[in-house]
Amino acid sequence: MKIITLVGAPNSGKTTLFNYLSGQNYKTVNYPGATVEYHAANLQKRFGLEAMLLDTPGIISLVPTSKDEEVTIKGIYSHPHYGAPDLVIATMDASQLSRHLLLAMELKQANFDLVIALTMVDILERKGFEIDIDKLQKILGVPIIKIDGRSGEGVDELISVAKRKLETNNKNLYDIKIIEENNQELLNLYKEIEKIEAEVIRPKKRGFAGSYKNILHKPDELTIKIDKILLSKGWGFLIFFLAMLFFFSSVFWLASPLMDLVDMFFGWLGNFTKEILGHGLISDLISDGIISGLGAVSVFVPQILILFLILGLLEDSGYLARGAMLIDRPLRKIGLNGRSFVPMVSGFACAIPAIMAARTIPNAKERLLTIFIIPLISCSARIPVYALLIAYLVPPENYLLSGLILTIIYIFSITISLTVAGIINKFRDKVIRETDNSTFILELPTYRLPKLRVTLSNMWTSTKVYVKGAGPIILTFSIILWALTYFPNYNPQLDKTQIDAAKYENAVQIERINGSYAADLGKIFEPVMKPMGLDWRVGVAILTSFAAREVFVSSMALMFKATEVDENSVQSSIIHSMKLAKNEDGSPMFTTSSIIGLILFFIIALQCVSTMAITKRETGGWRIPVLQFVLYSGGAYILSVIVVNSLRFFGVA
Amino acid sequence: MRTASELTQGESATIIDIDNQHPSAKRLIELGFTPGQQIQLVGKSFFNDPLAFSVRGTVIAVRKSEAACLKVR
Repeated sequence: MKIITLVGAPNSGKTTLFNYLSGQNYKTVNYPGATVEYHAANLQKRFGLEAMLLDTPGIISLVPTSKDEEVTIKGIYSHPHYGAPDLVIATMDASQLSRHLLLAMELKQANFDLVIALTMVDILERKGFEIDIDKLQKILGVPIIKIDGRSGEGVDELISVAKRKLETNNKNLYDIKIIEENNQELLNLYKEIEKIEAEVIRPKKRGFAGSYKNILHKPDELTIKIDKILLSKGWGFLIFFLAMLFFFSSVFWLASPLMDLVDMFFGWLGNFTKEILGHGLISDLISDGIISGLGAVSVFVPQILILFLILGLLEDSGYLARGAMLIDRPLRKIGLNGRSFVPMVSGFACAIPAIMAARTIPNAKERLLTIFIIPLISCSARIPVYALLIAYLVPPENYLLSGLILTIIYIFSITISLTVAGIINKFRDKVIRETDNSTFILELPTYRLPKLRVTLSNMWTSTKVYVKGAGPIILTFSIILWALTYFPNYNPQLDKTQIDAAKYENAVQIERINGSYAADLGKIFEPVMKPMGLDWRVGVAILTSFAAREVFVSSMALMFKATEVDENSVQSSIIHSMKLAKNEDGSPMFTTSSIIGLILFFIIALQCVSTMAITKRETGGWRIPVLQFVLYSGGAYILSVIVVNSLRFFGVA
Repeated sequence: MRTASELTQGESATIIDIDNQHPSAKRLIELGFTPGQQIQLVGKSFFNDPLAFSVRGTVIAVRKSEAACLKVR
């Protein structure tokens, strides 16, 4: 099949054109061994041209400045999956002609068979200018078609030109050249470009030839006016702060009722399955292994949808680039970059999309450092854990105090992650092992109202990527962990006459867990748990939380409700059973100090298999995820032991 | 001689030379910061760094240390 590669500068309308041509029905492919992402799609049938369309990341020139750009440009010359393109379609913004001609001319120099899609001609015309497309075609020697990727105007013509080219050309006959340019050659190219610009763009009305260049090269006035406020010291800071507050509160409070619904649904589905299939191995596997695993994956979907929706709206409006600019300086101090901002913010929802979002950081060192600290940012899977542990410390009716503790936990988690970034940055030669010129040069796009349809569809695509990426891992692990807590003593025989029917199922569960592989494993961990003031049951719960942290809560419920049966009440809450739990010496196990220790452990420890798997993929090896695991989980444990024992030393129970 | 990093809010200037030794010089040229171009400082981050310049019909945020390689008049 013929390959058409789309190339263009950022904000040149390339993605809009790709979406129009592909009908947004694309798959994401990675450049092997690198994090550069391509979208590949078949051209929609209605265009009557059978070809594979490859969307490449936006580039400014064919001469790379960073490692990622090098990979991107290599992929344009010859993609490892799809080979060299039969045709290159370059998008060029008419209102930014002098800047976007650079890439088009380099593509021409490189000898690609080229068609130019000229976008945003309407913006140029609104400024009071017109462009002579015929003349530009003659000068460049390349067919140029004016298009509007949103309405689809001109796209049919673009396709018919592409078709004609593809029918007659033969890519094997082209002598594709690698472009190399020094700064002087670049400046010469720009001189040529300015000559071309002067020849093809002219004012619609005659008479103001004198200063027309100043008007042509004036950015959108409304954007400049808005930026005067949004980038100012007082209002700018306030609005940035409010935008972040809005972002967090939506991701958490908007999502939480939906998450409860999903949780309830899977809970109901599990019980329903048990009712239909009765008690038995298959029924338990389906309800406790598979359905609860699917639940663990799905429970985060509402939050991730909302995260991507708001991020998408912020990005499309143009604000996100400003946010990155505003935060660049403080982040630079600890070895990060303004572009680390979005991944870090996403980390509060889930580390997985956050780590994937780190791809937008061009500097390898800064990207790796960002990925390195993302697991320390308190993701939403920790919320149920915090909620349980806080509820144990203070009565849940005391909203104010619970809220205060949760806020302290978040502030602590942010402080820890920034501190670790600073420390790792000091040892970056040993840990990150990448050096790169640190830079922050970012185009601030014109403000515009986001297109809801496009934002929604991007949200949907990003969420699908998350579910496909993390889903199988979470599901697999929850099934493995189910099996560990279920076998080998999966069918314990109890004397039914001794136990009343209401408690029989519970008693079976106690027996099963006490004799399970997880218990064996937990008992190995018993000496490890002891210094934290805890026993093997919490060890098992922590072990199961490696599938997803919130599994800790249901495991605690399972372990303690099953083992701490209150003679006085059949229905015992998880908190109630935890209160009954005792150490070997008879002292209560869950005290203020041991709960604080557990909270600390959950703030810092890396205990998410999916995060490790994604980190391995994004960093190209196990070195970074293993290092993170040892550092964070080991550090969390040591810190927790120190804190628990110091608290006890100072008289806190 | 002044550099672009020393412009005040709203001030316009013309680029007269570029420090080719600076590692970011190439990228700045590619984005259209070329001698003879008029640029304007249209915004600053609240830490006064990075700076936002208008150039060739767009706005580009650049760190102060990188803007220092653009000599202006």
